[in-house]
Amino acid sequence: MIELVLEDIWSPIVFILVILLTTLVAYLLYKMGNPVYNRTKHKGEPFISGNRPPKDIRKIHVAGDNLFWGFTDALKNYFEPLVKSHTGKLNDYLYWVVITLAVVLVYIYMAV
Amino acid sequence: MSFDIMLHTPTFALAVPLLFAFLTILLSKFSKKVGDVTFLLGLLLTGYFVFLMSYRIFTDGGWVYTFGAEEPITLNFFRITFIADGFAALATITIAITAIAAGIYSFGYLQKKMPSDKFYTLFLLTLGGVNGMVLTGDLFNLFVWFEVTSVASCALIAYENHRGRSVEAALKYMVLSVVGGLIVLFSIGLLYGQYGVLNYALLSGNISRIFLDKLALGLLLVIFAMKASSVPMHMWAPDAYGEAPGPATPFIAITSLGSLFVLFRLLFGVFGVGMDTAAVGAVLVILGVLSMFVGVTMALVQDDLKRLIAYLSVSQVGYMTMAVGVGLATLNTVEYQNFGELAMKGGFFHMINDGVYKALLFLSAVTVVHKTDLRSLNDLGGLAHKMPYTTVFFLVGAVSIAGIPPMSGFSSKLLIYRSVYLYNPILAVIALVVSIITFAIMGKVFFNAFLGPDQGLTDGEVSKLMLSGMAILTAMVIVFTLFPGLVVSELVTPAIEALSEGVIP
Repeated sequence: MIELVLEDIWSPIVFILVILLTTLVAYLLYKMGNPVYNRTKHKGEPFISGNRPPKDIRKIHVAGDNLFWGFTDALKNYFEPLVKSHTGKLNDYLYWVVITLAVVLVYIYMAV
Repeated sequence: MSFDIMLHTPTFALAVPLLFAFLTILLSKFSKKVGDVTFLLGLLLTGYFVFLMSYRIFTDGGWVYTFGAEEPITLNFFRITFIADGFAALATITIAITAIAAGIYSFGYLQKKMPSDKFYTLFLLTLGGVNGMVLTGDLFNLFVWFEVTSVASCALIAYENHRGRSVEAALKYMVLSVVGGLIVLFSIGLLYGQYGVLNYALLSGNISRIFLDKLALGLLLVIFAMKASSVPMHMWAPDAYGEAPGPATPFIAITSLGSLFVLFRLLFGVFGVGMDTAAVGAVLVILGVLSMFVGVTMALVQDDLKRLIAYLSVSQVGYMTMAVGVGLATLNTVEYQNFGELAMKGGFFHMINDGVYKALLFLSAVTVVHKTDLRSLNDLGGLAHKMPYTTVFFLVGAVSIAGIPPMSGFSSKLLIYRSVYLYNPILAVIALVVSIITFAIMGKVFFNAFLGPDQGLTDGEVSKLMLSGMAILTAMVIVFTLFPGLVVSELVTPAIEALSEGVIP
């Protein structure tokens, strides 16, 4: 007998069935929508808050750096030292190993 | 006397990749095709023996495979042991799945990019080395396999040696591996000098809370945590994963997972009896939380696709370390029955999950870089128009690593949240926050690289062989997604029982 429930707390099969059922209901509601809607009008045109789309298609795309700029800028006091500590220098990598060794050895000597 | 092939499978799981590593490079001199077929044969045979070994473990129980003296003895006799138990089965299956998928992928990749014979040899040597690390039953043997893995994977990272960055990443990896190897050897020397034995089972009966044992424990714990890319010793990982040649990237990541398996074997099997496991477990929990949080926040500020996934990999290592740390901290207490065992189940389920979906993400990222020659998310976009299969493969990996229901990543994380909450609610909150940030990062990557208008960065999909490698991993993610209960009861629980019962003498 295949175990379908994980530790009596979670069954992905039930979850997927619920998703399928919900999708079916959504589809039925969609089918009840306005049948005279013109599907071809504005098809494929991006909507940028009412602004006219730029001619260069690349300018429509939001680049990687832009996406969480607000988040990282607001938390720059955390991010700046964190990024700076990743120097890429081998000496620093070894310092971190030595520091961790020292801390863990002292802790194990005291606590274990 | 009949020859029981099942009994010898642990040694075949090591010997086959090592033998075929040298056969591949030898036969490649005659014909490239023969070399390719030899590599594939070696890979599939290794997988076959791993699955045979696991089948015997799950049906008849574990055993110790011995070279040399049959009985455990203390001094002056040659005896090398390999432990075939539930834990070894979980580790080798995880490694084999990734190796086979990455190996098949490499066929398509290497045809255009670079010569394949030496790559295949190094790939199989790494596979043999990491299998040896997780199967071995004595410390000196562990050191040997540790070195085999380090040397072979270092050469793999530097394989594209016309690129300075690859060589630099390999140099960093090599220096850290050599320093780590020497410290491992030193700690082995401490234990051997003290007890005159190297066998895990014999050592576990002798280990006590004396200074030298504590020193050996601390040294081994830190070095294997470093090899598993645990924060704050993780910085080599984005360099190595980022600069390793495409198909080798997930496999280098799997060697890190192999180190984590070894760390858990040592902590439970060798030091678990004589040491205060609550205090040692707390070290793992702290390393795990640091890895989760630092890994995911560093991933957030990356725009290089491969380095971003490398940092997410560091973050995922944190989940496993934290969960198994909770299991270790509660070992031999009532709390282990209440939630410690569940944390272990979550941690080990996450290990096999992570091995598979991380490999899938790395291969998808490599596919993108391979087709576009671009790595920055600022330059990528609209790839879904021309690369629909890769898009789907990446999406499956992304939603799984982000822990979105009903994916397999959610199943293992759910077990972790639920159990670590009872150990300390703050840990569960941190794990949830990290999951949410991972989801945001995966959204950013998917949006940037695959969605948006077609920018003409690629002319189409990669070869069918490369797609097949990713398809195998996607299929595994879907199996783990649909049947998490089966994976936990048939694969993870025997591994936990093997660990908590100690090493077979």
